[in-house]
Amino acid sequence: MDTLVDRIRQGDRRCLARAMSLMDSAEPQGRRLRDSIRRHSAQVPWWGFTGPPGAGKSTLIDALLIRLRARGRRVGVVAVDPTSPLSDGAFLGDRVRMMRHAVDPDVFIRSLATHHSPGGLSDATLHCARLLELARFDPVLIETVGVGQSEVDVADVADVCVVVLGPGYGDDIQLIKAGLLEIADLLVVNKCDLPDANRLLTAVRQEFAAAAGTDRPVEVVGIEAKSGKGVDELLDRLLELDRSVRDTGRRNQLQYRRVLGEIKRAAMLTYQRALHRGLEDGAVRELVDKLARGDLSLESAVAQLSATVAGAREDAPD
Amino acid sequence: MSKAGPKRILIGKVGLDGHDRGAKFIARALRNAGYEVIYTGIRRTPEQIVRTAVDEDVDALGLSLLSGAHNELFARVVELLQQENAENIVLFCGGTIPDKDIPHLQSLGFRRVFTPGTPLAEILGALEAELAGKR
Repeated sequence: MDTLVDRIRQGDRRCLARAMSLMDSAEPQGRRLRDSIRRHSAQVPWWGFTGPPGAGKSTLIDALLIRLRARGRRVGVVAVDPTSPLSDGAFLGDRVRMMRHAVDPDVFIRSLATHHSPGGLSDATLHCARLLELARFDPVLIETVGVGQSEVDVADVADVCVVVLGPGYGDDIQLIKAGLLEIADLLVVNKCDLPDANRLLTAVRQEFAAAAGTDRPVEVVGIEAKSGKGVDELLDRLLELDRSVRDTGRRNQLQYRRVLGEIKRAAMLTYQRALHRGLEDGAVRELVDKLARGDLSLESAVAQLSATVAGAREDAPD
Repeated sequence: MSKAGPKRILIGKVGLDGHDRGAKFIARALRNAGYEVIYTGIRRTPEQIVRTAVDEDVDALGLSLLSGAHNELFARVVELLQQENAENIVLFCGGTIPDKDIPHLQSLGFRRVFTPGTPLAEILGALEAELAGKR
């Protein structure tokens, strides 16, 4: 495992690519690799990009890649697209917009599928971003799937969170709703060549002005990712934010949040599996009957089920 | 190094050929068959295709071409894959490829060559067979 980590650090691209494939794996080698890279990470800022489908996240990342490369930065990208709920397959199309960077040795782009993870990222996203850090990419950019209002997992892993909206997002009522907009460090309205985008830009600015004093202040930037208009100014803002999260205190805070999130997700999966096994237990039938007849309260039924599940727990990996 | 989860296939369009209905049709069919499909978009260079295949660590690479330049461009892709020591990637291709060129492409390492009119079930069956036991 150490040799693999060493080779990734020395810039072996093929090792990096293969290690990323291991990140989804439940096999011991995948688990060991995930455990062995955790301590190396959280030195470099991760920029998260989220927003509805078609807002222009991939196109914006493409435009930022050009400018980050011009400033001599080596950039890693993890782009997530949805797994089909019907077939388990996926069409990973984000990198179509970034193909001009394919042969640049100082850019590494990896496409991931969600594998049914609900929050807009996949479980492997965090691990793949860590591998990019290990391979000395700085910054690491993370693109979520096209999200609705409540898929905000990216806020748990990214240092700088960019929410990208496009025309057609809705009126001021959508903007007040909780969720997506609350996680933004920077709010980008894309496609500002279209009239609807300018209306949205005005509405967003008014909304944040109205929220001043109650909510965290958020800067709003209007751009045209495709032509590049406004992208330089956006990058300047991003780099300022990037500098502001580089101090050791912030790095430690971030690492704590990410690792806590990891424990939480892994524990939830373990409990969920145990619960599903418990629900297959014959005793559940009696519990359901009693509850249906009114002989038992829901709280007591849950307490009894929990006792069964805790008694039957036997899956401690390693 | 073993992997889990769905197998990954890159569908690539190489050279000056702006027509990708076939490539997208195959990409969609592979998605529905449970593969993770990465698509390059049109007019890519062999270098871009190979770099993407390696970085995405795909199990298979399918090239689509309708312009007639398959012999030259596909050979270049194979050459670059060899330079990257990525011969483990299963190669297949499709498009308007004359029968007389098929043996040559097979000798280059293309496991399957699908010409227009090939039934989808045949393509899926062939890929499943080629990818069985990989990883």
